Amino acid sequence: MKPTSFSKMCILALFVFPIFFQVKAEDEKMKTLINEVTKIYMSSMFYIFKNQPLINQKNIDKHELFGTNFIENIEAVYREKYHEEFPQRDHFAIKMILQVMIEVMDDNKELLYDNDIGFKGIIPATFAFQLSAKLATKGIGLKIKFTRTEENIRNNMNRPDLWETRVMQKIIDKPQIYYDENSLLNGKAVIRQFTPLPMEAYCLACHGKPENNPLNVGKAETAWTNIDITGFEMENWTIDDFGGGVSISLEKSVLNDLK
Amino acid sequence: MFNKVNIVININCLLILCLFTFSASSQTLRVGLIDFPPHLSFDGELKKSPLYQYVNKILDSLNYTVEYVKLPNERAYLELTKGQLDLLLPISIPVNKGEINTPFTPIFHSVPGLCFKKENFIPILSATHRFDELTIGIPAASSPVTALTNSKAKLIPIKGENATSRGIELTQRGRFDAFYHPSPIKVYHRNSPLYKEVACSYFHGYSTPMHIAVANKLSKTTTDRIHKAFETAMQKHSYEFYFASRK
Repeated sequence: MKPTSFSKMCILALFVFPIFFQVKAEDEKMKTLINEVTKIYMSSMFYIFKNQPLINQKNIDKHELFGTNFIENIEAVYREKYHEEFPQRDHFAIKMILQVMIEVMDDNKELLYDNDIGFKGIIPATFAFQLSAKLATKGIGLKIKFTRTEENIRNNMNRPDLWETRVMQKIIDKPQIYYDENSLLNGKAVIRQFTPLPMEAYCLACHGKPENNPLNVGKAETAWTNIDITGFEMENWTIDDFGGGVSISLEKSVLNDLK
Repeated sequence: MFNKVNIVININCLLILCLFTFSASSQTLRVGLIDFPPHLSFDGELKKSPLYQYVNKILDSLNYTVEYVKLPNERAYLELTKGQLDLLLPISIPVNKGEINTPFTPIFHSVPGLCFKKENFIPILSATHRFDELTIGIPAASSPVTALTNSKAKLIPIKGENATSRGIELTQRGRFDAFYHPSPIKVYHRNSPLYKEVACSYFHGYSTPMHIAVANKLSKTTTDRIHKAFETAMQKHSYEFYFASRK
């Protein structure tokens, strides 16, 4: 190699390497952010599950389910579940998901305080869907969906898209987080992540076998029903089955604007 | 000599600036309001309605003299298109109302749903198999969501101006199993007399954006000024978050 070519390459490397490392660092930051959003989302679902008695009980004070109280409770679940501090609220995605959680609970306020209704239908899956639906109206380029493989999906609006279907096919036997920094969604450049979720005991109350159905507790086996509390037929899943996952997409164009 | 000319120019500039400020601050805006409880309620004191409070705070900060006019739905559209109003809220963009100018981000979203007699309440409407055999009243003027039209429910259109109240009445009397409402929150909230009678659940994912409409006659400068103020306020705290966070 001629000395001139060598020096040209050195100069080129001097410019390219910092850009490369910067991109990598940005990428890592984005991964961390998406992981945090996923964990916040999961913590809220877990809180909703744990508080079914509070949600469905009549004639009691439910202020723990609203506003900043609700967020503080989610934070506590997060710390307990993941053994780490709740993320800083210095990114719009974190701020926005917490705001939307407050809005969703407020949307349900009239139902939650309706003392003539027992089961309110606010369960982890419906809460997660309400969050997703509300977030989609905000026009901020952040989308979250709790989805699963096409068969047995209960809410048509949670059906996986092609990207999610392909990802699930890849990881279903060996669940791992799938990250795609160069994806397209509705013609827009996005970063996408699919985080598989382990089946939790609370999922089985609706999706498990009749023996998992809380409606069957204390009844003779012959009187058991395979219809869960929400009115759907139970899927007979077990704790070892694939639990679906959280699919998150963030539009690249808004990433820098909204930091 | 040169100094005197300079002083005269400066005084003139100051006068023009004062005149401009005065004209901006003294401009009167006529804002039409449509009843949309609990966001905007004509039953109680208007000043206590959260949407009024949010909008008024923004317009107030711009130093406009604001005249609020309570209007029924149809007349409100008419007055806006005739140029009798400067702003109108909250409205969804109707398909048959010609060109309505809605340049701002939607102020909130309305979600349709079904209202039931409490004992027949279905909380999760994605469970569409539960609509089989149900008779559901639908205001003829509204377009029900596909989750409902694709279900096996028997859908009965209700014609007339007061279709909503008739639908609810027929549901209460057991003639319908449920009633489709484009915005059940209007009836299913704790200040509504119907709160004790019916319970409503929502078709989440089928929301309709609700806007602030701007009259075409409003100058571009004024529209831009209001637009900027609204976008700034919405970015800080959206109306939906303000509504959810109120005590």
